[in-house]
Amino acid sequence: MTSAIGTLTKARALPQAAPGTITRRTHPLWFLLPAYALLLVFFVLPTAYQFVYAFTDWSGFKASINPVGVENLTQLASDGTLFRALRITVVYAVLVAIFQNAFGFGLAVLLERDTLVNRICRTFFVVPVLMSALAVGYVFQALLKGTGLLADTTWTIVVVALIHAWKWMGLAMLIYLAGLKTIPEDVLEAARIDGASRWRAFWAIRVPLLAPAVTFNVATALLGSMNGFDIVQATTGGGPARTTELLNIFIYRTFGQGLFAQATTMSLVLFLLVTLMAFPVIYLLRRREEVQ
Amino acid sequence: MNRWMAATTAALLTIGLAACTDPGAGDTATEPAAITWPEPAAKLDGVKLTVWAAQNSNTVPKKVIEGFQRATGASVQVVTIPDPYEQGIQTKVATGDKPDLAFWQPTASMLTAINAKTNLQPLTGAPWLDRLDPKLRDITGLLGDVRYAALVTSPAVEGVYYNREVFAANGVTATPKNFEELITLAKTLKGKGITPFHEMGADRWATQWWVQVQLADAARSGLWDRINTGQEKFTDPTILGAIKKYQELIKEGLFNSDIKTAKFEDQGTALLNGKAAMVVQVNSFFGQLQAKADTATLNSRIGFFPIAPSGNVGTFIPDQSNALVAFKTGDAKREAAARQLLAYWMGPGYQDFLTDRNTVSLETGVADPAGVPQALLDVHAAVGSSAGSMQALAVANPDLYLNLADMIAGTMTPEQVAKATQDQFEQLAKAAGYLK
Repeated sequence: MTSAIGTLTKARALPQAAPGTITRRTHPLWFLLPAYALLLVFFVLPTAYQFVYAFTDWSGFKASINPVGVENLTQLASDGTLFRALRITVVYAVLVAIFQNAFGFGLAVLLERDTLVNRICRTFFVVPVLMSALAVGYVFQALLKGTGLLADTTWTIVVVALIHAWKWMGLAMLIYLAGLKTIPEDVLEAARIDGASRWRAFWAIRVPLLAPAVTFNVATALLGSMNGFDIVQATTGGGPARTTELLNIFIYRTFGQGLFAQATTMSLVLFLLVTLMAFPVIYLLRRREEVQ
Repeated sequence: MNRWMAATTAALLTIGLAACTDPGAGDTATEPAAITWPEPAAKLDGVKLTVWAAQNSNTVPKKVIEGFQRATGASVQVVTIPDPYEQGIQTKVATGDKPDLAFWQPTASMLTAINAKTNLQPLTGAPWLDRLDPKLRDITGLLGDVRYAALVTSPAVEGVYYNREVFAANGVTATPKNFEELITLAKTLKGKGITPFHEMGADRWATQWWVQVQLADAARSGLWDRINTGQEKFTDPTILGAIKKYQELIKEGLFNSDIKTAKFEDQGTALLNGKAAMVVQVNSFFGQLQAKADTATLNSRIGFFPIAPSGNVGTFIPDQSNALVAFKTGDAKREAAARQLLAYWMGPGYQDFLTDRNTVSLETGVADPAGVPQALLDVHAAVGSSAGSMQALAVANPDLYLNLADMIAGTMTPEQVAKATQDQFEQLAKAAGYLK
């Protein structure tokens, strides 16, 4: 934290910044404080505390909190439930990433031209993004009641991933649209003059140039749905037979039983997993951008 | 500038640290001697009380609260905490959020789970205790020797609710005398094309009753004491056997064909319209039937008998809608007012409450309302001689029902159910300071 602010203040002392960097200063740096304060209280501190409480016996059953070493970790590792929940969470995140990007990309291509109908359609597809995730979950639960789609121990995870993707596809669409709009017209014109068909120009020119949008969309969908909770909780509550019990739902249940330290340990595992996944995923997607 | 930044950051960190320490800690225990019981109708103008209730108990206190507000001038608000209720409350209390009163399962395991010693007011010397039926006074609500919960309605009993008309139409004149007879009867009914039992695999929580009623005799001979001290496990033959028996009965086709997807609501409908002959359930199930049919219909159609391997023994399981706890909020005036509300409830307001809820009286001096359905009287009659349930006697309450629901869905074997339940029991018991 302190080092981040230190870097910011140091930047002022170095007028010879890299070319293209905006060195002009319009606002005093302390304007950042409210934002950093919120980030600190609601993100940095809880995350830091995870590393403390995960190694204690904090519970709802007694007032004192004592250190217990790695006992919570060894217990979780010996119990298959954590690994099952982790597996379900990763499967869910990958499915969401695929569906959300496929839908978003399809919609962006379909609605790319700025016609009146397209503009109206785009607005409609963004509405679910603005809806409460719980409302989305309850609506789908009501819609799918009695169809058996939420009672299948194999396929329900796919159904909830589709619902998650449906809710967020409007955002992916917006990002892909922005990507499509920034492709320079002259590149496409050059392709046309070279005799490339529309099909060829699409796959050989426009899709590769969307790489930064792909990076953003895949990373946010994948890593965002690793932290999934609300939609699944509202739609299935983790059922049937806990086949859609994401790690966060498991954490919520454990916390609710008063086992706060164990729940914290699981959050820590999830935090580390998301971090470990984020670096290679973003690195690989970035490399893909450069290759193009 | 730099120094200011560092100072501000340090200050923020310190505040954050202070704000993040365990909010549940730090309360001091009230001396039992200091507990006073105000007159039930003493004036309380301007006092605001909050009562937390679950979706199935939020209408229970309606009449009491109306009377209390009229008599005292206090205002009482009932806040519904969504299901899963107990989990929601534990989470809220852990973060320092407390009501004045809440519906709460009055068993030792659940009083431990909410850290009664720190969070709840002891109800020592409550004025209504002498008026309670002596058989019921100390049946529950105690943690160690200290009373933390006030029982307001007859505690739930696990047993068999049956459709009298279905029994009569198939020539069944006497209800089964033990578990073996129950199964024989079920097989006879199935032979006649009737679904003997109805179970709700999708709503899950009732699945545990089938295992628990089979354990009634073992419970009487100290099963849960042995589990509590680690001498016996869920994976040992007694409990594992009951789980296996349950699965065997399901595989024999003695249950509804939609057992995996059926919900609590479906159970009531199925029993009322005779689609199923019997349901193993607790009192809240009868509450659902009361919402669906009037007393006359219920009396002619629905009956209850307790069941256990050795005979007609019920398994007693007080639930959240049967009792209330009062929280230590740190505000002496509101804490006293909360005790006063309980005294009013079990005192001047009790008759009105029973009439409104149409339920059995726990006090010897207050008569049952005229319209209490026969099945409820039968359930109440079974309380005195019943065996304790897992919730009543075990020091921790593992999610046996979730594992059983998984078994019904086909993703767990009985052995896995027993193992998972035992593991979780040990985890919870250790966290609560038992089972070193």
